[in-house]
Amino acid sequence: MSARWFARRCLFIGYTLLVVSLLVFAITQALPADAAVTLLGENATPAALAALRLKLGLNDPVWLQYWHWLSALLRGDFGISMRTGQPVGPMMFSALARSLLVAGLALALMLAVAVPLGLVAALRRGGPLDLAAGLISYLGVSLPEFVTGTVLLLLLADHLHWLPATGYVPLLRNPLDSLRHLVLPVLTVSLVMVAHVSRMVRSEMIDVLHSDYVRAARLKGLPARTVLFRHALRNALLPVITVVALDVGYLLGGIIVVEEIFAIPGIGRELIVAIEMRDLPAIQAGALIMAGTYAVANFLADIAYALLDRRIRYD
Amino acid sequence: MTLLSRRHLLTGTAGLAAILPTLGASSAWAAAPRRGGVLRISVDQAVSVLNPLASRVNPEYLVAELLYSGLTRLTPQMAAEPDLATAWSANDALTEWRFTLRKGVTFHDGSPCTAKDVVASFNAILDPKTASPARANVGPIDTVRAIDDTTVLFTLKAPYADLPVALAYNNARIVPAAIANGGLDKLASTAIGTGPFKLVSYEPDRQVVVARNPAYFDPSRPYLDRVEVVVYPDPTAEASALLSGDTDLMANTTPSEFPRFKGARGVVALRIPSGQFLNVNMGCDQAPFKDMRVRQALALTVDRTAMVGFVAQGYGTPGNDTPLSPAYRFYKDIPLKQPDIAAARKLLAEAGHADGLDLTLIASDTPSTRTQLAVAMREMAKPAGFRINVQTMPHATYLAQVWKKGPFYVGFYNMQATADAIFSLLYTSDAAWDETRWNNKAFDKLVYEARVTTDEAKRRALYGQAQELMHREVPSVIPVFFDLLAGRRDWVEGYTLHPRGSLFRLDEVWLGAGAPKRS
Amino acid sequence: MIELLRQLARTPQGAAGLLILLLLAAACAFGPAIAPYGPEHIDFLGRFHPPGARHWFGADQLGRDVLSRLLTGARSTVPTALAATLAGTLLGAVIGTASAYLGGRWDEIIMRTIDAVMAIPGLLLALLVVNTLGKGEMNAAIAIAAAFAPGMARITRSVALVARRQDYVGAAIARGERGTWIVFREMLPNVVAPIVVETTIRVAFAVMLFATLSFLGLGAQPPASDWGLMVADARPFLHQAPWMIVAPGAAIALTAIGFNLLGDGLRDVLNPRDER
Repeated sequence: MSARWFARRCLFIGYTLLVVSLLVFAITQALPADAAVTLLGENATPAALAALRLKLGLNDPVWLQYWHWLSALLRGDFGISMRTGQPVGPMMFSALARSLLVAGLALALMLAVAVPLGLVAALRRGGPLDLAAGLISYLGVSLPEFVTGTVLLLLLADHLHWLPATGYVPLLRNPLDSLRHLVLPVLTVSLVMVAHVSRMVRSEMIDVLHSDYVRAARLKGLPARTVLFRHALRNALLPVITVVALDVGYLLGGIIVVEEIFAIPGIGRELIVAIEMRDLPAIQAGALIMAGTYAVANFLADIAYALLDRRIRYD
Repeated sequence: MTLLSRRHLLTGTAGLAAILPTLGASSAWAAAPRRGGVLRISVDQAVSVLNPLASRVNPEYLVAELLYSGLTRLTPQMAAEPDLATAWSANDALTEWRFTLRKGVTFHDGSPCTAKDVVASFNAILDPKTASPARANVGPIDTVRAIDDTTVLFTLKAPYADLPVALAYNNARIVPAAIANGGLDKLASTAIGTGPFKLVSYEPDRQVVVARNPAYFDPSRPYLDRVEVVVYPDPTAEASALLSGDTDLMANTTPSEFPRFKGARGVVALRIPSGQFLNVNMGCDQAPFKDMRVRQALALTVDRTAMVGFVAQGYGTPGNDTPLSPAYRFYKDIPLKQPDIAAARKLLAEAGHADGLDLTLIASDTPSTRTQLAVAMREMAKPAGFRINVQTMPHATYLAQVWKKGPFYVGFYNMQATADAIFSLLYTSDAAWDETRWNNKAFDKLVYEARVTTDEAKRRALYGQAQELMHREVPSVIPVFFDLLAGRRDWVEGYTLHPRGSLFRLDEVWLGAGAPKRS
Repeated sequence: MIELLRQLARTPQGAAGLLILLLLAAACAFGPAIAPYGPEHIDFLGRFHPPGARHWFGADQLGRDVLSRLLTGARSTVPTALAATLAGTLLGAVIGTASAYLGGRWDEIIMRTIDAVMAIPGLLLALLVVNTLGKGEMNAAIAIAAAFAPGMARITRSVALVARRQDYVGAAIARGERGTWIVFREMLPNVVAPIVVETTIRVAFAVMLFATLSFLGLGAQPPASDWGLMVADARPFLHQAPWMIVAPGAAIALTAIGFNLLGDGLRDVLNPRDER
């Protein structure tokens, strides 16, 4: 990992954000009905619409709007929400923090479940556990979050009263209560990923167990445990890191739905409201922050990959 | 005639109370209110707009009501009662109204609230650039003038008997003159009102927290120390939060969630008939709806009792093609229109559509009941020869392209405070939202005559004729009125559901025994 | 083709997948004909009728027969998801193959841009596209295709890069064929196998994404009996009438499982060296 590699990666993140901002800006320009119309709703008068459009800067040429937005962004200013009149940056970043709490816990839970599950399934191939894991993962990747989320909510909260149904308690205000509120959404988002990643771990593990490398280690007479954990698992987990990083994109998408169901004021919900209300600065900021999160996650995954696998050279 | 019209209104509501027995019957009124505590109320939409002159949806109205006062406010019986104004009177022609303000009222920043603030606020409301929904709803105001610090004179363009009630409109709130004169942008993130609560924190999509205003003009109210308004975008999640005790009060719930409250321990289901309705609007100025027989034929295909089941899950009242439900003071009991497919076919044939008629009915996606109505109507009208294609669209697109312009679409409206308010909002020729272009001169005359008199019996007769006219000529099919549904924990006392739907009066609410301690 | 199917039927996943998909195809072909009621026929007294002899899968909030809606809805749900995926695949395959063919700086630019677009979560991209085009089945399909294209471009490119080094491409270049000819006639067919596997699995995702868009009110519109819309419609009535969500939910899951199984089976058949 040379300095040049770092610089290239950072440059790439910058390029990603530029492309995303251009693409999202282009799409938002094409959205039917502008923010002035959605904001004023049934009370819109031509005079009020004109005044509001002027205030929101909607009369400027498109490229000028983009330039204003971009230059403000470079100063760290995400703009003012057309809907609420509040600064978009703080609004989106505090929402992102709440989303990341859910996403982080979901990732942790997923790894804690998916890796052992895939491992056991690979070692006991064709056994009842393998079949059960296979069935679970097929179900996991085949049910949309809004179905699993609703079913979990009804079962665990409404019927069994084990968990609070919905809502969000800030972590710092009451950590225990906060985590209790997060169980259902975290379960819901992690389910699909558990299914996906455990299958991945299983197939990688099977590949590695059959590789010459592991055969050689076995022939050398190394203890089975050492072969399994020191040699096989590490190699099987390498591709998994990449997949998990790519899954972050999926995770961020899934969180949009989960936040809607469980009333978590995260970035996904902010984005849905922003799109509905044609709140351009908020859409821009939200999309950009999501894309940035994804790019950073992949960057971190690359570093982790390189650290785990010294054989890979980055120039 | 000081207070004459007010007395009129108060006597006039006695009959309404008899229609709505649930209103005064709450046993909570018996116990003495207890002070203190935190109330957590859930709402179904974000509080996007904090500026009280511009709020548009119920959660925003709730927050505005907590933070600001108007001149008058609306009782659950739909009468005006004092808020910042303590008394009012009109000249005999009902064209000049004099309001006396409460003395010694201060805004949240400590500055005094006087007649000049009232004048400035109304000037801002009446300015089209403010785009305040109140502009079309506060009556035919020409000018507002301060006589002295505590007296305001409203001069009207035309006689108007309902002014004190109209001034209780949700957006007719009083803000400091300095802000009303060009500084309204400040109200996007701060609140300087005279209301019972002061703003503590504002997160549009999450929650709004307000705390008791110690300087509120009524020293006994509010009873609560703090109110947390929590946003739940999903109705199932919101109902679950009330059932699990996360929240204390749910401002508004859907017919599909409501049955969960009944029989749930510790939860009281609240229900009140209202004048909130869905209608199917027809452009009366163009074919095929120009021909009254087509409109009458469509009205005859609708099974209204079934529609209450389909659209409101039974929590509603069948509509009779007039916008007045039994919850209105001047409601006239006309026998309910029954479905008659044969008669509808005959009318349609007479109008020259013997082979049937192809129509596209547009329904916006908010609320979802619009679509349900459209889908059910399509099936009901089919046997009479109407081939209706239902088209749904996002609400913003609907507002921009269809509303007030389209020939055939589903509308949805809240209950208004008076018969005049709803008629002159939607159905008179000069209506603010003249969406049917029915433009019936006889109807206009009836509504106008009722507006310029305080004679109760005469008004009742005039509004009765107006309703019969609409029932007969059907500018829009109004098949169903919704009940308002809500829920509270049993420790929430002093809360009554307001049939207007956009009023909450949380300053009268207190927490009884068993309420959880929230910090 | 026949040979492929025979091999596929020999793998357990492939056989199960084929069976499920045959059932689906039958529903698409004959669904409306064998449905016991009209899919939009409302029945006031039959509202929320539980499953039984009259309504096998129960009735919904308007008294419509869930089974009939399910059978009729197959025709709009499955082929649309399939078409959306195919469109996305095609678009992605063209971009990916072209990028691999062009190579060098162009490849770099195209791929970096594709990576950048992939940083937008698929659901978010679909949301933006549908909001721009307007709601509806067709537009939801376009949105899904747009959301799938970058990922498919990436996969195609990596496969095509391998193919590019093969002799026949070199031979074509040596013969002096035109660039487009090489891309379409020589390279694309040879990268098809891995793409077929990926596409099959993505149909499952498309079905779910479709349902999610309908849940958010952006997919198919009432009174259509698209399965995703049925699930979304049923969700508010979960407490009163759970059967309303069970039937379409199970149908969506079954479809997704079918395509997943088929994809796994195809992988086994097409990559014999892989002994999974």
